[in-house]
Amino acid sequence: MRGLFRWSRKWWPGLIPLAVLWGLAAWSNTVPLERSLAEATSAALKNDVLDKTRIEVAGRDVTFSADAFSEEGRRSALTSVEGVPGVRLVNDRTRLVPEAKPYVWTATRDVVRVTLSGSTPLPAIKARLQEAAKAALGGVEVVDQTAFARGAPARFDAAVLLLIDQVARLKEGKVTLSDKAVTLSGMARELGGREAIWAGLRNLPEGYTVAANDIAAPPYVFQANKDPVGGTLTLSGYVPDNKVHAELVAAAQRKFFGETVTDTLKASIGAPKGFAEVVTRALGALSRLSTGALTVADREVTLSGDALFDGAANQIRQSLGKNLPEGWKAKAEISVKPAASQVDASVCQRLFSDVLGQGRIRFESGQATISADSAGLLDRLAEIALRCPTAAIEIVGHTDGDGDAAANQALSEARAKAVADYLVRAGLPADRFKTSGQGSSVPIAENDTEEGKAKNRRIDFLVR
Amino acid sequence: MAAFVSFHWGWLLGALLLGLAMGWISVVQHGEGLSKKAARVIAGLLVAVIGVAVGRVVPGRPGYWLDLGLVMLAAYLVGCAVGAALRDRLVARQMAAGRIPPRPDPAEPTP
Repeated sequence: MRGLFRWSRKWWPGLIPLAVLWGLAAWSNTVPLERSLAEATSAALKNDVLDKTRIEVAGRDVTFSADAFSEEGRRSALTSVEGVPGVRLVNDRTRLVPEAKPYVWTATRDVVRVTLSGSTPLPAIKARLQEAAKAALGGVEVVDQTAFARGAPARFDAAVLLLIDQVARLKEGKVTLSDKAVTLSGMARELGGREAIWAGLRNLPEGYTVAANDIAAPPYVFQANKDPVGGTLTLSGYVPDNKVHAELVAAAQRKFFGETVTDTLKASIGAPKGFAEVVTRALGALSRLSTGALTVADREVTLSGDALFDGAANQIRQSLGKNLPEGWKAKAEISVKPAASQVDASVCQRLFSDVLGQGRIRFESGQATISADSAGLLDRLAEIALRCPTAAIEIVGHTDGDGDAAANQALSEARAKAVADYLVRAGLPADRFKTSGQGSSVPIAENDTEEGKAKNRRIDFLVR
Repeated sequence: MAAFVSFHWGWLLGALLLGLAMGWISVVQHGEGLSKKAARVIAGLLVAVIGVAVGRVVPGRPGYWLDLGLVMLAAYLVGCAVGAALRDRLVARQMAAGRIPPRPDPAEPTP
């Protein structure tokens, strides 16, 4: 042992090459060691849920910065880093993710993109919500600006997933979840979208409430255009269901005797109450116009066009807004078609025959009350009568062969008179008209078929 | 420490071999070496430096370099001790065989 002490006093010259060796070792190992420790630290943190993780290594000391989602998670991450072999000191720069109160999540949709903002609790949930938004919005750009925050209400992700489905139904608008209260505003993408969103919100997790739902639906629009040049009536827009669809098309076919009905209507929910009744009446008013357009948007009826003569224009203006269901409004922008040139009696007779050849004046079954469907036809007859102001006109009623002859005679007379009354109300002088009835005595077709009977039930106009 | 040694094993082996060589030489080297006083000062300094290293006072890269230096020094000293001991045994064996005349210990005055 004494020898060792004696010899050790002679060991110092070796320190010079040792110092050189030390310098070389330090020079060549510092960076690789730091890199190796950084890799090992990252690997050790693989299973820890952290945000904004930053690892800086100087020598064997690790400066570890990260946002943890819970105190437990923070401590566990710190322990993981401290346990990395080779690490000497850990400078702890970790902190907890800030707590949000109230906990707000927002999705804003405009024409080109959907922006998610506010808070999300965990990276996994953030990723899942982003994926769900991309899937639900199919092709629309999704910008995720959410930041992590603690304090999310229970079942936050389930609620937000449901809200993302509602965002997909919006054309534009904003959906906000503040703690457990949902606020929605904006415009639904399609008719019925508002109702679908209401229905969807019923599935919110327990405890979540709808604080405000100001989603507006696009207007429920029905349009009809009468084009006398093309001889068409075009129906477009929406109807509530197939039954109403069929009824409206049938009504249009009855009311518009000279036009071909082009039907592009689509069925959709969201129709205002009383839709079918109002549209049927408004179609009747449109049928009286020479050319015109009818628009029913939500509860507003707009009719524009040219009436055949002054009296008809006044009647249409007055009747359109009358007896509408509650909440409905009507606007009539009716002008009068320039009066057609006057013609002599024989031309008038031909015009009457042409019009009555295209359509029949309809009455309530077995009665002398003119059906509302015949208003358009009667206006055309009145207009013709105005073109030959000096001619006297005899209106003759006929019935089919069914029933008692005396009753048929009375009915034919009463119907002829009803037609004359209508024309007088339209502004024609009463002394131009004479009425008579022929019962079933002058048939123009066989009375043994329904088709023949329908032809025999008629009103003839004879110009004298 | 195991990770540290395994990462730097080549350099530590170098220091150990250097020590072995130095220890091997020191047994038969003439001269006094360091004075006792200087050895004490150096030992004191060494203890202080070890204290600094163990206390992890020096941060970052300098701290690592200090650790590296001390571990290499330890390897060197172990090498020296082993080298000296081996050489001493070899010398003793040769002396016993009478091939080398015993050399008076300079530390002990000859009678």
